[in-house]
Amino acid sequence: MNTLVELAEKRINRRKFLAGVGAAGAATALAGCQSTGVNPGPTVNVGLVDTDYLNFALNLEYLEAEFYLRAATGQGLLPADNSATLNAVTIPAGTVVGGAKISGLSAAQQNILNELAYDEQAHVRDLRLLLSGLSTSSLTAAVSLPNLDFTNGFNAVASAAGIGSTFNPFQDWDHFLVGAFLFEDVGVTAYNGIAPLISPIGVAGPTNFLANAAAILAVESYHAATIRATIVGNTVAAGGVSNYPYFTYANQISTLRGTLGGGNETPLTLPGGTTSSPTASTIVPATTTNATAFSRTTDQILHIVYGKAGAGVSSGGFFPNGMNGHITVTQS
Amino acid sequence: MATQETQILDNIIASRRALLVGGGAALAALAMPKTAKAASTVASYGDTDILNFALNLEYLEATFYYYAAFGTDITVANGSAGAQTITGAGTAGGPVVIKPNAKVPFTNLTVASYALETAIEEGKHVNFLRTALGSAVVARPQIDLQNSFNALATAAGSPLPTTFDPFLNDANFLLGAYIFEDVGVSAYSGAAPLFTTTSSGKGYLAAAASILAVEGYHAGLIRTVLNASDNGIIFPTYPAGTLATATQKISTVRSNAAKALAQGTPNLDASPDDYGFGQAAAQVTLGAAAVKVNRSQLVDADLTNATAFERTTSQVLNIVTIGNAVTAGTQAKGGFFPNGLNGTFS
Repeated sequence: MNTLVELAEKRINRRKFLAGVGAAGAATALAGCQSTGVNPGPTVNVGLVDTDYLNFALNLEYLEAEFYLRAATGQGLLPADNSATLNAVTIPAGTVVGGAKISGLSAAQQNILNELAYDEQAHVRDLRLLLSGLSTSSLTAAVSLPNLDFTNGFNAVASAAGIGSTFNPFQDWDHFLVGAFLFEDVGVTAYNGIAPLISPIGVAGPTNFLANAAAILAVESYHAATIRATIVGNTVAAGGVSNYPYFTYANQISTLRGTLGGGNETPLTLPGGTTSSPTASTIVPATTTNATAFSRTTDQILHIVYGKAGAGVSSGGFFPNGMNGHITVTQS
Repeated sequence: MATQETQILDNIIASRRALLVGGGAALAALAMPKTAKAASTVASYGDTDILNFALNLEYLEATFYYYAAFGTDITVANGSAGAQTITGAGTAGGPVVIKPNAKVPFTNLTVASYALETAIEEGKHVNFLRTALGSAVVARPQIDLQNSFNALATAAGSPLPTTFDPFLNDANFLLGAYIFEDVGVSAYSGAAPLFTTTSSGKGYLAAAASILAVEGYHAGLIRTVLNASDNGIIFPTYPAGTLATATQKISTVRSNAAKALAQGTPNLDASPDDYGFGQAAAQVTLGAAAVKVNRSQLVDADLTNATAFERTTSQVLNIVTIGNAVTAGTQAKGGFFPNGLNGTFS
């Protein structure tokens, strides 16, 4: 391995390690730095800065972009969009397991998939540009694409949710909608959770962190509504849940997200009643009292995408080797 | 060093806040000196001013959806949709200008259930913002849900008729809702970074972000349903493709209004800040596959960055008054708010 790359990665690991230790453990942490293989323990969000939250979001955008791009085209992000640079040394992107172009789509379905893929590719670029506006010789720069695993990730979700032992969202349009359902509401709750943690005025103009996070949050909400409304519409068109199991799959995933992600879920419901006196749909997942969107902590998001509850979880599910950056290990 | 950085940040903050508040006027003056300017600047404002601006918009949305779902004003409770209080500072509006018996005679159960969900949620937003504002809350201003739609539809042009009734049927209701939802998103998106860094300001920001997300869901829902229905079968009064055309025309009106451009010339602006849901004009290139593809526009966002448009208060004012916020420093009146909004941003 290139020595500079090795040094750079060591530095990343060291920073990760330090970030993963609370103030209370700082003294022992310094001693632990000398040896390898020390479990850094749960992360404590002490000293996290705007760029850490943006890099956390970037990991999620990588996940979504790779998912949609592979579904739409069979391939993932361009190399220029997935590597990282540290001290003028390129840190290569991770590998992605699974994902294939969905065949048999109508033109309208392909158009929607293309839009989702383009938007998420753009969000990866947005965040990388925001982060690269800062020094690329420091760890405030964008992290690279982490290792992703769609095959085992979705299989694990399907098992835990009670859908079955395997699940392939790249099989057809209906399976795809369930896979997209899993990611989109997560993205909304993640951005909603980090928005208030970002300095209101980070950098001016188009590189304002908060403004960009808010504007991406809005787009994730549009996406999530599209997926939810399409699943409901398909179920109605099919003549009910018994003819369209994907509605039930989506709600099983919602239940699983709630279990791992601190509640914060509103399951889908089918239109009921009469046209003059209907029952309300639940396209928007929101609090009952105020109709405000749910927000999740970074821990809750990690639990969902790693597929595991509890403190000290550092990888799993869609991220077989964990996320990249400073927010990678659950603290609760 | 720290001091210098702080000073730079302060300057950035000051200029950014000024730009966002007065952006309509400032940008119009810079880029298009011959066009009318949007009404502008507020010298100083606080977090509650931003919330009250949002409340005016929530009053408007809730009133529209309550009438569509129930045929009654937001002051009347209907099942899960609670009765809302509309009193407060400023000039309280009289009865809403609207046709009699405005409850939409829905024929599509799915659309009816969406209307009900949205009515309930917008009502809760009114209540939520009023609670957050406490004694600083403004009253609901005069609202017009009749002449406003006619004026907007006239500006948009065919296939929208010059007399446009959003309460006539399912499809018209969806188009009426379309007019509001993306505007709410752009308003909240523009306002989010304006809150102060005080603890209460951060709390307001969290609340505004949570409402922004819900408005995004609503807008995405409306656009998705319109897209799925644009086949001439579900809504026979609109032949296949006309709903996409109608939303593009409405988006053009909104964009022209936001940018203080004259209405009626569809392609006046080379870089609009608003798009209908139909297929995008330009193809995009996807990932390592490097394929050029068509795409839908179910998200109303910047075509390159896929970030939602952020509008200044002046730009939003110009939209909801349908281009009448043209004189800087004077009250913007017209359209949905014939007597203007209540609060500092009016």
